Amino acid sequence: MSGSEAGVNLPALTVALSQVVVLVVLSPLVIGLMRTVRARLEGRVGGGLGQPFRDVRKLLAKEPIRAKGTSWLSVAGPLVLMASSLVVCALMPLLGTVTFDRMPDDLFVVVSVLLLGTVAVALVGLDAGTAFGGMGSSRHMTIAALVEPTVLLAVYALSIPVGSSVLSRIVAARLEDPTSVFSPVSLLALLALAIAVVAETGRLPVDNPATHLELTMVHEAMVLESSGRDLAWLELGSWLRLGALLGLLATLLAPWGVVTEVSAPGLLLAALALSVKLTVAATLLATVEVFVAKVRLFRVPELLAGSFVLAFLAVTASYLVAPG
Amino acid sequence: MGAVLLLTPGCCLLVALTVAGLRGRGPDVLLCYAGVAGSVVALGSGLTLVVAHLGGHGAAVTTLGGQLRADSLSAFMLTSIGAVGLTATLADAPRRSRPVPSPSYPALVLLFLGAMSVAVLADNLGVLWVAVEATTVATAFLVGHHGSRHALEAAWKYVVLGSVGVAIAFLGIVLLYAATRSAGVATLSWSTLNGTHPALDPSLVRLAAALAILGFATKTGLAPMHSWLPDAHSQAPAPVSGLMSGVLLSVAFYAILRIQAVAAPVIGTTMMRSLLATAGLLSLAVATLLMISQRDLKRLLAYSSVEHVGVLALAASVGGSLAIAAALLHVLGHGLAKATAFVGSGWVLETEGTTRISDLRHLLHRRPGIAIPLLAAVMALLGLPPFSLFFSEVGIVVAGFQRGMGWVMAAMVALLMAAFVALVRRLAPMFLGHRSDDVGSPDRTVPGIVLPLAVALAVTAVAGFAAGPFATLLTDAAAVLSAP
Amino acid sequence: MSESMYAQLVGLCAAVLLLCAVLIVWRRSLHGQIRLLAAQGWGLGVLVAVLGIHEGDGQLMIVAVLVLALKGIVLPRVLTRATVTDNGDLREETPLINTTASLILVALLMMLAYLVSRPVQALGSTPPVAAVPVGMAVTLFGFLVLSTRRHAVSQLIGFLLLDNGIGTIAFLTAGGVPLVVELGVSLDVLLVVLILQVLTSRIRAEFGGADLDDLTELRD
Repeated sequence: MSGSEAGVNLPALTVALSQVVVLVVLSPLVIGLMRTVRARLEGRVGGGLGQPFRDVRKLLAKEPIRAKGTSWLSVAGPLVLMASSLVVCALMPLLGTVTFDRMPDDLFVVVSVLLLGTVAVALVGLDAGTAFGGMGSSRHMTIAALVEPTVLLAVYALSIPVGSSVLSRIVAARLEDPTSVFSPVSLLALLALAIAVVAETGRLPVDNPATHLELTMVHEAMVLESSGRDLAWLELGSWLRLGALLGLLATLLAPWGVVTEVSAPGLLLAALALSVKLTVAATLLATVEVFVAKVRLFRVPELLAGSFVLAFLAVTASYLVAPG
Repeated sequence: MGAVLLLTPGCCLLVALTVAGLRGRGPDVLLCYAGVAGSVVALGSGLTLVVAHLGGHGAAVTTLGGQLRADSLSAFMLTSIGAVGLTATLADAPRRSRPVPSPSYPALVLLFLGAMSVAVLADNLGVLWVAVEATTVATAFLVGHHGSRHALEAAWKYVVLGSVGVAIAFLGIVLLYAATRSAGVATLSWSTLNGTHPALDPSLVRLAAALAILGFATKTGLAPMHSWLPDAHSQAPAPVSGLMSGVLLSVAFYAILRIQAVAAPVIGTTMMRSLLATAGLLSLAVATLLMISQRDLKRLLAYSSVEHVGVLALAASVGGSLAIAAALLHVLGHGLAKATAFVGSGWVLETEGTTRISDLRHLLHRRPGIAIPLLAAVMALLGLPPFSLFFSEVGIVVAGFQRGMGWVMAAMVALLMAAFVALVRRLAPMFLGHRSDDVGSPDRTVPGIVLPLAVALAVTAVAGFAAGPFATLLTDAAAVLSAP
Repeated sequence: MSESMYAQLVGLCAAVLLLCAVLIVWRRSLHGQIRLLAAQGWGLGVLVAVLGIHEGDGQLMIVAVLVLALKGIVLPRVLTRATVTDNGDLREETPLINTTASLILVALLMMLAYLVSRPVQALGSTPPVAAVPVGMAVTLFGFLVLSTRRHAVSQLIGFLLLDNGIGTIAFLTAGGVPLVVELGVSLDVLLVVLILQVLTSRIRAEFGGADLDDLTELRD
C-alpha cells in the first residue's frame, strides 16, 4: 500500500495504459492475421491484415438499429463487454509486471472481470428475444461454466510454486527462473489453459468464428441482432479478449521481453516482443484451425472435461515435484 | 545335490525346445509321452529332495549361487507337481487309437511343468513371479487348444485376468523390494528375509503384502477374482484342466504362503488373516451357490476347485504348524483327486460326446470303467473318509478353533456341508440308477489308462493316515513358514 | 548432473508419463492410443536413463535401452499389427462409460493414487519418490481402461498402461528390480502381448469383430 499514498501509482498506470493502447492496436491485427493465414492455407487471397480495422471503422460510423422491445441491456451490454475487455488488457502482465496496489492483477480479479464480459454478451443475445440469440447465449454460458473452473485451476497450479495468485508475480518468477517453464506443472497447466482459451474465445474446435450457419453458431448467434456501433463494440471487445488471453498464454510460455522496471525503451521492446509472440501464437492457432473440424456441441463438455483434468493434474503435480 | 534342482526345469525346457524344434518330425512316442517324462522327472527329483531332507534333517539344498533353493516345503510342492502331473498325463497319454497331438501341445505342457517347478524352487520372489506369469503364458494356448468360440473366449478371459491379477502381485513385490532397499538390504530372496529380519518399514510392507496376496489370489482362483477359473478349466483339454486345477492353483497358493511368511514378522498376521479369511469364506459361498445350479460337469469340477482353494485360504489365515501342515496335505489330496476327476470327465466327454450333466445318466450302470474312478474321485473331493481331504479339513477346523477363529470355522463347516449337498444333488443322478429299457450290456472299456488314477486315489486314501516320514515332512514344511 | 536439473528431469519424465496416460483415456482412436503408448514407453526409457546417469549405475543404463526398445518400439508395433486387419474398425466405439465420465474418474483416481502412495512416500523426499503417485496413477488408469473398454486392442492397451505404471513405480522406488527379474518380466510381458495379439486375430476371425461384448457365451 506504500505507493498509493501519492494517489497515483505512475509506473503501474504507464504500464496499464500502454498495454491497453498496444492491445487495441494489436488485437484487430491478430484477427486479421489469423483470417489471412487461414485464407492463404485454404488457397484464398483473404481480406488482408487491415480488414478488421476497416470493419470496425465502418461499423462505428453507423447508427445502431435495435429491435422493437429491447431493453437498456442491448445498449449497455456492448459497452460493458468493451469496458471489461479494456480492464483485462490493463491488468494482464503482458508488457510489464508493475501493478496497482489497490487492484492487483490477481487471478480471481481477472477471471471475474472476464466473466462480467461473458455475461454481458449473453444478456445481449437474450435481450432481443429471438430464437438464435437465446440459443447462442445458452451455449455460450454452458461453455463458460465449463471453462472458468479450468482457467482458475490451471493458473492456480502455476501459482503454487510462486506462492501467489497474482499473475504478474507468476510471470516475474518465470523471468527469474526460465527452467520452470518446462516443469511438469507448467506443461500440464499451459496445455489445459490453451484449450480453455480456445473455448473461451470461441475458436475452433469449440466454435467456428467464420460460420454463419445458424445451427452451429455460438458467438455469432448472440450478436445476430446487433448492428452499427453496438456490433463494433461487441466485436472489438471480443477481439481484445482474444488478444489478451493469447498474450497471457504466450507470456507464460515465453516470458522474455516483459519489463519489471518501467522505462520507455523497455516498454517499446516489450511491445515489440509481445507483437512477435502474438504473431507466432496467432499463426499457430490459425494453422491448427485449418486442420481441425468443429466438434459436435455435445462433445464440447468432453473436450473441456479433458482440459479440466489436465489442470487438476497440474495442481496435483505441483505438490508432487519436490523442490530441487 | 544342487543339480537335482536344475533337473526338472532344465529337462522340461530342453525337451520342450526339442519337440518344438522338430516340428512334428520326431518320433511319435516323444510327442505322446513328453508330458509323462516331464512329470516323472519332477516327481523323481521331488522325491530325491524329500529323501535327502528327511535323511539330512533340515538343511536346504541350493544351486546357481542360491537362486534356486529347496527346503522341505519346496520339495513337497515339487513332489506334488510331479505326482499330479504324472496322474494327469499318463492316464490320458495318447495311444495308437488316437491321433498324435500337434507338437505345440506337448511342448506347452512341458513348459507349463517347468515353469511351475521353477516357481516352487526359486529363492527369489521376483523369479517366483516370473515363473507364475510364465504358467499363464504356457497355458494360454492350451486353454484355447480346441479353437472353438468357447475356448477362445475362455483363453482371452484367462490371459487378461490372469496377467492383470499377477501384475498386481508384481506391484506388491516391487514395493517389498523398495522396502528392503531402504532398509539397506536390497533383496527379494525369501530365505534371506526370513533369516535376517531386516528392519522394514511396516506401512510399506503392509501395502506390499496386501497387493501381492490380492494378485496371487487371482491366480489361485479365490473369489471374487475367480471368474476366469470355471471358463478356463472347463475349456482346456482334460489333462491340462487336471494340472491347472490340481497344482497350478496350489503353486499360486504357495506364493501367498511365501509372501505371508516374509511379511508376518514385520506387520503381524492380523491384516493378512482377515484378508485371507474373507477371500476363503467368499470362495466357499460363491462356489456353493454356483454348484447348486451347475449344468456342466467340468464347470462343476472347476467350482469345486474354487471351494477347495477357499479351504486353503482359510487354512493360511489360521496359520500355525497344524493348519499349514493340513493345508499341504489338502494340496496333495485335492491335486490327485481333482486330476483324476478331470481326466474322468475328459473320458466322459470322449465317449458320451457331452459334459452336460442332464444328458449323462446311469453312468455307473452303463460305463462302470469310467464311472468308478470318477465317482471315487468325486467322493474324495466331497471330503469323505478315508480320503485325506477329510482329515485335512478336520485338521484345519481343529487348528482354527485352537487359534480362536471359532466363528470363521463354524461358517466354513456350514458352507462345506452346503457344498457337499449341492455336489451330491447334482451328481447322484448322473451315476446312480438304471433304466429298465436299457438293453445294452455295461461298457467296461476305458479310453485311457486307469492304473495311474487308481494309484492316485489310493495315495489320497492312505495319505490321511499320514505317519512316520510323511508326517515329519509335512510338519517340517509347515515349520519353514511358521519359523519365528 | 546437478541436483536441481535431476529433479527437473525426473519431474518432466513423470509429467510425460502422466500426460500420455490421460490422453490415452481421453482419445478414442486406437492408433492414437498406440502412438501415445509408444511415447509413454520413450518417457519411461528416458526416466530410467536419467536415474541411471544420476546413480552412475551401468546396469540401469542397459535396462533403459531394454525398456526403450521393448515399450517404445516392439510392443507398439505388435499392437499396430493387431489393428492392421481392422477395416475401419479403429475406434473404441462402445466404452462402458463415456469419455467425460472417464476423465472425471481419472481425476478421482489421481487423488486415490496419492492416498495409496502415502506409505511409499515414507521412503524419503528424493525427486523419484516424490513422483511415485504418477506411477500409481498410471497403474490405476490402466485398470480404468481395462474395465471400461470393450475392444480387444483397448484391453491390450489398458494392460500395457498398467504394466508401464508398475514399471514406473519399480524404477522410482527401487531403481528397478534385479536384472534377472527385469529380463524375465520383460519376456513375460512380451509373450503375453503376443499371445493376446494372436487371440485377438482369432477372435476377429471367429466372431467377425474384436468387440469383446460378443464374448458372453460362457456363463452360469
